[in-house]
Amino acid sequence: MRRIAGLIFCALSVSLTVSAACEHGCEGNCEHEGLQLRARIGYNIGGTAPLGMPATIRSLEAYHLTPSFMAGADAMLPLGNRWGIQAGLHVENKGMDGEVTTKGYRMKLKMDEDEMEGLYTGHVRQKVRQWMFTLPVQATCRLGSTVMLKAGPYVSLLFSKDFSGYASDGYLRKDDPTGPKVVMGSTEDQWATYEFPDDMRRLQFGVAVGADWQLLQRFGLSLDLSWGLTGLMKSDFKTVEQTLYPIYGTIGIFYRIR
Amino acid sequence: MIQLSMKRSFCFLSLLFLLTSCFKDEPKNMECDILEAWVEGDDLSSHFFQQSDMRIANVPSDVHQLAFTVKSQAELPLLKVFFSITPGATIVPANGSAQDFSKGPVVYTVTSEDGAYSRRYTVSFTNPAKPAVEESKMKFDFEHYELNKDEKTVRSNRYYVWYEESADGSRNDNVWATGNGGFILAKPNAQPEDYPSVADANGYEGACVRLTTRDTGSWGQTFKKPIAAGNLFFGEFDPQFAFTNTLLTTKMGIPFDEEPTKVTGYYKYRPGEVFTDKDGLEHKDRVDAPSIYAVFYRNQNAQGEKVVLHGDDIRTNELIVSMAEVAELPATDEWKPFEMTFKSQAPVNAEQLKNRGYSMALVFSSSKTGDEFVGAVGSTLYIDKVEITFKPKEENQ
Repeated sequence: MRRIAGLIFCALSVSLTVSAACEHGCEGNCEHEGLQLRARIGYNIGGTAPLGMPATIRSLEAYHLTPSFMAGADAMLPLGNRWGIQAGLHVENKGMDGEVTTKGYRMKLKMDEDEMEGLYTGHVRQKVRQWMFTLPVQATCRLGSTVMLKAGPYVSLLFSKDFSGYASDGYLRKDDPTGPKVVMGSTEDQWATYEFPDDMRRLQFGVAVGADWQLLQRFGLSLDLSWGLTGLMKSDFKTVEQTLYPIYGTIGIFYRIR
Repeated sequence: MIQLSMKRSFCFLSLLFLLTSCFKDEPKNMECDILEAWVEGDDLSSHFFQQSDMRIANVPSDVHQLAFTVKSQAELPLLKVFFSITPGATIVPANGSAQDFSKGPVVYTVTSEDGAYSRRYTVSFTNPAKPAVEESKMKFDFEHYELNKDEKTVRSNRYYVWYEESADGSRNDNVWATGNGGFILAKPNAQPEDYPSVADANGYEGACVRLTTRDTGSWGQTFKKPIAAGNLFFGEFDPQFAFTNTLLTTKMGIPFDEEPTKVTGYYKYRPGEVFTDKDGLEHKDRVDAPSIYAVFYRNQNAQGEKVVLHGDDIRTNELIVSMAEVAELPATDEWKPFEMTFKSQAPVNAEQLKNRGYSMALVFSSSKTGDEFVGAVGSTLYIDKVEITFKPKEENQ
């Protein structure tokens, strides 16, 4: 709970900063018209990670890019000179493919009904795929004539998901550190794979903040940050010690349709 | 709160930019294993049969009894036993402290560096225990079996283990080993009867051993080890490499001070119906066959180190002095006798033999090529009334 509270505080402080900036924003020469539509594409980069890395994860060995593209459209209704409200529909993938080394990291490896649980020391490659529809609802405010800040909650519905990986070049102590040692090798037939797509939540929500920067008359760049407040996995999923939160940044371009 | 959120933001930023500043200090070790144990001391070698008996190397992770073999337990002086343990762990009584082993085992407790875990090891120095030899024959009836009592596995399901009674009536757990300890990793939910090596009440006389080639399920497939042949052998099984290098899991052979000439017994065999290879592909033209063989080898190398043969060198190691194999084991639903005679490859040194300088591996498997994960699930070999004949003592001298 303290974590959630901290997060909400964090989000609030960001929005407060945004609104403080807005007070000094648009100086009367801003556009003032009806509904605006923006089509967007972007690339998500980030990861699903525990808040506060556990000591049992020792190092990040590699981070591979995934097809984490975003496409969608937002409708923004200006409410006066500065403020507005925006809602949209995005299709996106928040993927991850990272390699870490662990020391005594609690994990459960599962194949059909046969599980092996214990403490793993060695190399782990973790892949996440989360293709989803995201519905953001955001307050917007103009900062000068070209920049628009935005902040607000979002809801995501996953339609294609995967949480899988493998453990290699290490060993598992079954059950606890005094249990039998099971060595994992460095070739495909000597490492342990795992797959838990069914344990992933289908519905996620979180908060997102961002900025649109209109460079040309219709084109612009955008930078967004989305912070999941719900864990990646269902709450009864105990395989991984910590709750994993999806935290992603999006670099994108937009086209203003109207 | 501000500080907290700043820390979070920092952490978040580093995640984004793939920095590793979020990684905490390395946690203390949680493991508390004895990895190796040895005796140091001048003039102690006279208490041991061989120099290599003064060291127990590569202690398997699931072993908690360390047994040194000495000529006479009662005549032992105080001994200093040294241990190589998990880095950071502590051991009580102290590493290398003098202890009295003449009256029985000493219990050592190893505590992990983080202090949260500990393991108890029983260290003993005993006279060689071996099944009784009468008229140059050693008999195995497989009447002594139970479900394993190891505290680690009892939590899940259990499997059969076999033990023997020594000449003095004491129990000897260090004769027979099976691959059941590896099967439990792949199929943790298996019932005792579903394991590859099982005790069966319907033997030739009394109980017998039933060895069945089993499907290792989805774990086995993942590691390209789709089957597990039922096996029973002299030695020790170390499950550590069950998924990586299974040939290293079977430590075959136990020391003997007599030279075997012949092994006899009774068997029944029925091959499984579908013969498959490592990839699980069916080979309709092939029929599974069992395997019964024995290897007698010098258990100390030129450097004076203890040697145990594994699945990978059990037929090829240069220290082998004689081998025996049952040439044909036709399928049968009735008990049939089998016999194999040792063929000598190198001379046996009588002095070294007296000092238990040779080990014998006796191996039974329900699938001949089970070590390559090639065979038929369901192939079943029953074994009973096994008898090893040794060279009469006079001949050895």
